[in-house]
Amino acid sequence: MAAREPGAAAGTAAPLPITVEAVSKAFGAVQALVDVDVRVRAGEFLSLIGPSGCGKTTLLKIMAGLVPADRGRVTIGERVVTGPGQECSVVFQDFALLPWATAQRNVEFGLLLRGVDPAARAARARGAIAKVGLGGFENAYPAQLSGGMQQRVGLARALAVNPRVLLMDEPFASIDEQTRRVFQDDLLGLWSQERKTVVLVTHSMEEAIYLSDRVVVLSPRPGRVHQTLDVPLPRPREAGDVRATAEFARLVDGLWKVLRKLQ
Amino acid sequence: MTVAALVGLAVAWELVGRLDASMFLPPLSRVAVTWWQLLQDGTLARAASSSLVSLVKGFVPAAVLGVVVGFAMGRFAVVRYVLDGWVNALMSAPLSALVPILIALFGVRDTVVAATVFMFSFFVIVVNTLTGVRGADRSLVDMARAFGATEMALFGRIYLPAALPAVMLGLRLGVVQAVKGMVVGEMLISLVGLGERLIYYGNTFLITELYAVILSVLVVALLAGHLAQACDRALVRWK
Amino acid sequence: MVLALRAASVVAFLLLWEWAARVPISFAFPSPGATLAALVALVRSGALPAATLISLQSLLLGFGAAVLIGVPLGLVMGVVRPVGRVGRVYLDLLIALPTAALVPLVILSFGINVLSSAVIVFVFSAPFVIMNAYGGVRDVRPRLVEMARAFDASWGQLFTRIVLPSALPMILAGIRYALSRAFVGLIVAELLLSPFGLGRLIMSSRSMFEHDRMFATVLWTLLFAGTALAAVARVEARLLRWRA
Repeated sequence: MAAREPGAAAGTAAPLPITVEAVSKAFGAVQALVDVDVRVRAGEFLSLIGPSGCGKTTLLKIMAGLVPADRGRVTIGERVVTGPGQECSVVFQDFALLPWATAQRNVEFGLLLRGVDPAARAARARGAIAKVGLGGFENAYPAQLSGGMQQRVGLARALAVNPRVLLMDEPFASIDEQTRRVFQDDLLGLWSQERKTVVLVTHSMEEAIYLSDRVVVLSPRPGRVHQTLDVPLPRPREAGDVRATAEFARLVDGLWKVLRKLQ
Repeated sequence: MTVAALVGLAVAWELVGRLDASMFLPPLSRVAVTWWQLLQDGTLARAASSSLVSLVKGFVPAAVLGVVVGFAMGRFAVVRYVLDGWVNALMSAPLSALVPILIALFGVRDTVVAATVFMFSFFVIVVNTLTGVRGADRSLVDMARAFGATEMALFGRIYLPAALPAVMLGLRLGVVQAVKGMVVGEMLISLVGLGERLIYYGNTFLITELYAVILSVLVVALLAGHLAQACDRALVRWK
Repeated sequence: MVLALRAASVVAFLLLWEWAARVPISFAFPSPGATLAALVALVRSGALPAATLISLQSLLLGFGAAVLIGVPLGLVMGVVRPVGRVGRVYLDLLIALPTAALVPLVILSFGINVLSSAVIVFVFSAPFVIMNAYGGVRDVRPRLVEMARAFDASWGQLFTRIVLPSALPMILAGIRYALSRAFVGLIVAELLLSPFGLGRLIMSSRSMFEHDRMFATVLWTLLFAGTALAAVARVEARLLRWRA
């Protein structure tokens, strides 16, 4: 798959592969996931999609080490996931920003928890803020920022700790469409410069096709892998007019047909 | 869980009381006996009925007037601007400081208690009513206007139902404050009611009787609160 | 415009007061002028400042204890669920009870001194400090805890960096409300206790039919309480600048 070398930017660690083997999870009497097998290649952009309640967010949280699997296991690189790890970062749908902290302090948060000293923290945070295009807003509080800007802070926070794996839980769901498109392109731009393994949970077919190398479709509860679609669209996609191509439409339609049968 | 905690407290009280650690902490059983005696000889009934009469005499006007003023303030900006400062200032003020003034106005009579009750509960009711009216969804008001609603219709069909939960909350809080005002007022004039009994037993060192009255006051407070809550639930079912 | 209306209402109030004194609404009801004169005289003679100082002692002792003991207690209740559930029951009872009813008991137990009024101030204000600290911990957004856990935060970090800052607004609001309750307790204690502070001044003026002095002291007390509360509100606003 990878036509280019991962981890081009200096100081970035190489991306890691993720292996999900026979993972099952139940919440009380509700079986959320059953026997899920997913293999994410290092540096790949993978989307998880499926009908409501299919367990895609649960699967992401299991990868993040926030929720333990009942059966099976998840391996990130060499590490078997038993809890949150230093090589992963999570971006949340509702941004999860500390309302009492400025953008700068919010971005520093992950670094702070890891004991990075104040000067280095501040510098890395500023760098991350600049990277997501929020330069100048370091001292703004979340309440003063729009939804799109708040999520950029969330992304900056995730990137500041130099993760090798980026886990995103419907990151653009709370953002309006125009802002979303710009954000998606910026995300692809960042990702091409500093390759990470990305797993993105989404309910938007168009988004899944536009961003990913592969799309994993989960079946309705109990969730299992129903089908995996390849997205052979050429990169970089943010530069061109990919959405207008016939190939793009064909892929989205193909995905829709798969999902429609699951409804 | 609640029951367990209360039972635990009762048991602890009984045990500690038995230890005779201090003459000021009699065992619960002795308090219960005294309470029963006071009930039998009518002391509690007399005091409680006087207290409750004052409570009603003070609370009902506070409720009616409070809701009216609150509505006026919520609906008409002019009224709000004029009265806002006073209401907010008096709501957090130690109103008990004003009781001596009430005594100067009315003399040492039970009217003072009703006046104290009124004072304690009025402002809470106003503020909550005001909040409820102001919180009425603007889009509902616009919608009703668009359909040609008159001022009366707006009041009855939009503002009133929208404000009702807040008004009920205000009345519930008002009841709690009213009971507190009742006790404070009665204690300060020391003439009638449960408050008077508290002062009397305190002055005469009748500790068990004192505890019995304190518990009775608690019961009255809890009953009033639950009654208000029941009314609230009955009236605001759509929440 | 708003300012004009407010000023007008104050003027209207003063005029109403003046009229009430002239009617007279009850014998020896003092006019605004007489009240002001008495206020000045009391300040000059040192009676008012002295009484205020004594009252302040009880207030600081009782309220200070309420905050120093109440906040940690509330936090513990919030973090350790079983303690919270049990404590909640006792707290609800304490808040439902008209606290003034406990005053004779406290006076009997502790005597007629500053300690008694401090204890009363404590009983009036502590439950609200505790309740709000408890509520503040319980209201922490689960998502923020999850986010911190995703960054592998330790329990200590979760508490100091998520729970405490999250709970701070409620804790401060609780402290502010508890202060207003502390003043209520102070006044009730002193009006009933009598030998001390502002309460004594009010009661003795009343019994000596010096109504202008009584009104003046009441006014002073209300202003004193109001100023203290406004100051705390200011501090609260500064600490919570990040609020939308």
